[in-house]
Amino acid sequence: MWAAKRMASTMSASSAALTFELVAKCSTTRARASIMTLPHGPVNLPMFMPVATQASLKGLTPEQLESTGCRLCLNNTYHLGLKPGQDVLDAVGGAHKLQGWNHNLLTDSGGFQMVSLLTLATITEEGVRFLSPHDGTPMLLTPEHSISLQNSIGSDIMMQLDDVLVTTSPDKVRMREAMERSVRWLDRCIAAHKHPDRQNLFCIIQGGLDLDMRRKCCEAMVARDTPGIAIGGLSGGEAKDDFCKVVGACTQLLPELKPRYVMGIGYPEDLVVSVALGADMFDCVWPTRTARFGNAVTKHGVLNLKREMFAADYGPIEDGCGCLCCRPAAEGGMGITRAFVHHNAAKETAAAHVLTLHNVWYQLQLMRDAREAIIADEFPAFVRAFFGNLYPERQDYPSWAVDALRTVGIDLIED
Amino acid sequence: MSNDTQDDTPTMKFEVLKAAITDGSALRLGRLAFSGRRTIDTPNYFAVTSRGAIPHITPDNVNNHLHTSGVYMALEDCNRRTPATPPSILPPPRHLHHPVPPPSPHLFHRHPPSLPTILAARRLPAVAAPKGNTNTSISIFTSTGFQTLTPAAYTSALATLRPDIAIPLSDLPPTLPPSAKRALRMSERTDTWLSDFHLPSPVPSTSLFAPILPVPLPLQREYLHTLLLHPTHISGLALYSPSLLPSLLALHPTLAPLPRLDLSAPSTPHAILRLLSLGVDAFVLPFINAVSDAGVAMTFSFPPPSPPTGTQQQQQPLGIDLHAPSHRTSLAPLAEGCTCYACASHHRAYAHHLLSAREMLGWTLLQIHNHAVVARFFAGVREALGHGTFAEGARRFEEGYEAEFPAGTGERPRARGYQTKSEGGRRRRGRG
Repeated sequence: MWAAKRMASTMSASSAALTFELVAKCSTTRARASIMTLPHGPVNLPMFMPVATQASLKGLTPEQLESTGCRLCLNNTYHLGLKPGQDVLDAVGGAHKLQGWNHNLLTDSGGFQMVSLLTLATITEEGVRFLSPHDGTPMLLTPEHSISLQNSIGSDIMMQLDDVLVTTSPDKVRMREAMERSVRWLDRCIAAHKHPDRQNLFCIIQGGLDLDMRRKCCEAMVARDTPGIAIGGLSGGEAKDDFCKVVGACTQLLPELKPRYVMGIGYPEDLVVSVALGADMFDCVWPTRTARFGNAVTKHGVLNLKREMFAADYGPIEDGCGCLCCRPAAEGGMGITRAFVHHNAAKETAAAHVLTLHNVWYQLQLMRDAREAIIADEFPAFVRAFFGNLYPERQDYPSWAVDALRTVGIDLIED
Repeated sequence: MSNDTQDDTPTMKFEVLKAAITDGSALRLGRLAFSGRRTIDTPNYFAVTSRGAIPHITPDNVNNHLHTSGVYMALEDCNRRTPATPPSILPPPRHLHHPVPPPSPHLFHRHPPSLPTILAARRLPAVAAPKGNTNTSISIFTSTGFQTLTPAAYTSALATLRPDIAIPLSDLPPTLPPSAKRALRMSERTDTWLSDFHLPSPVPSTSLFAPILPVPLPLQREYLHTLLLHPTHISGLALYSPSLLPSLLALHPTLAPLPRLDLSAPSTPHAILRLLSLGVDAFVLPFINAVSDAGVAMTFSFPPPSPPTGTQQQQQPLGIDLHAPSHRTSLAPLAEGCTCYACASHHRAYAHHLLSAREMLGWTLLQIHNHAVVARFFAGVREALGHGTFAEGARRFEEGYEAEFPAGTGERPRARGYQTKSEGGRRRRGRG
């Protein structure tokens, strides 16, 4: 542990708009603790990034989001391109100014929404062709256009436009084409990027579930030397075993002194296992979306507070939780009860807002706890306690997690 | 936001600080004090809650950014999911490690304990029930449909919830004015319910504000007589038709020291000014929520700013429609010169974007701003009353501002079943 710390204090790497400092490495797994300094301040990794799709985190004020400790959140390029539109972003001076958020922003490329939200989107070498959701006129999202939009947004981290294919696609030829095209589009994105001094462009590793293809993509993209690297195309319905294999294969090939971002990952188990496999950053709409359905994420699992059993439960959403909602009034919190949420879930938006606050806090705190455990070199014990809280019986541990953790030296069943 | 307990000493005190401010008017400055709660300088207003929440505002934002002096909540909003008669608000504990804390409306609505709470049976404005009231119950509209509420059940709810102010049950027909026969029955029922069930207040810390029915005074003579018989148990008047106030006070001057709470739901600041002149001390104002839902930021102040000398001033709007495309890139605060959280931290371009993207934060920011504007309006009114300049200010306000709020072109937030009753052929508000 001492060695890990001493080593870490000397290991950092910088590019024009990002400094990555490795603080500690787990001596058992591949988990790392680091500090990533971006144009709008430092953030501690590993971390979860909540998704403020349309420049607003589902009813929370930027001040409330800040209170969760969040210092890096997402905006979606596709949505901001439609509303408020690039001309407004330029006139206002970017998305930070638009939403009054003085911390970091990450934007996706817009490509994923094209494919997932729009029917009749077709991908050519030039870009993604689609019909405008406004008036149905044919439009084209090119790597150059995506970067131009993200330059207008002014995000601290921008993502390249990639050719996304569902990982479960059986078409190997198409998968290889998508992977290779993503590399070519990365080159076009780098060439189009106007502000490398104040915005970071991350590449996205593609290649589906084919580990060999993933490795080739890693090699080609690492050679482009972007300030950070994302693993993309996952969370599209693949088996969890396959997901872990892809993350594990990629992190082994990625340079140590760059942040590694697994896109679209959000269940607590996925976060903990991915951290063990050596990933640093995650984003997902699940915690905020599920909040609007009355679901609270807790260390003992997800509670649906709409259930009648919570109607007279005057305890906090989660015992011992430090979020603004769960903290008792005497400690400056709101002292929100399960009964309060039950009464208003899916009725008054204020109930959705308090659950959103709680769930975002939960995800951020989970990563803060993981980071502390890594620094203390107690990460394996953290992982064991995490699964122990979630599943009272060991035989209920998900086998994909047990298997994935075995590959990095943690055996959840025998210890 | 400290503890939820309160003692049971009879607690509300109303003090008239300055009365008969101008000749022939009932205008007055006062102070409403509750033990363990914020003191309210009057004239002032209470925010309307929906199911215990000020719409779109979380309790931390109520505490940090909202300037309301108290909240109004309806018992019909407190029912459980499974229909029950009467609606049970605090059912027996099922989780023994979290025993039910001491009863208080704050347990239910989670607003800062400093905020006084008014409890009434029905929302303001209430959705008309298809079934009328009976001699022994009124119809209420809950999230699970229409139910009946008896005066006994209401009294028991008061004992459980212990609001600071309670409005006793009254028999109000869905359409006004009622026939003379119906008006007499209203008076009879309300009288019986008050005498048999509500007097004295089941909890000393709950002050009863007796409803004055919206029917001519002679038709509620017997009921008013009952009120006069219980001077120590009636702490205030709740006015469904405040225009009755001058003749009521002329008829029964002993009622004059009581605080007067308006429940007629005026829809503009002009109407508030007129009601103030009749002698209203406090208001419950649903129009604030409605104006916010319409995407309109209020821009009025009292007294109105003086027009530049020598110019013929045009009437100013009471608010601006932030959904209008002209605000797309405006970095101006929601209203010029406003210092509320929404104006200090955000601009019109963001509010416009949130409204047009139907993001919930848009309505949150508008609520914070509009409540700040109304709170400042009342502070301005009190200051003018203190300086003796109210009449002049009210005249200039009437002349200087347009009569109505702009309609607001944005889509409203989704309306829930308990907020409106869909009638045949009429579509529900929002995309519901």
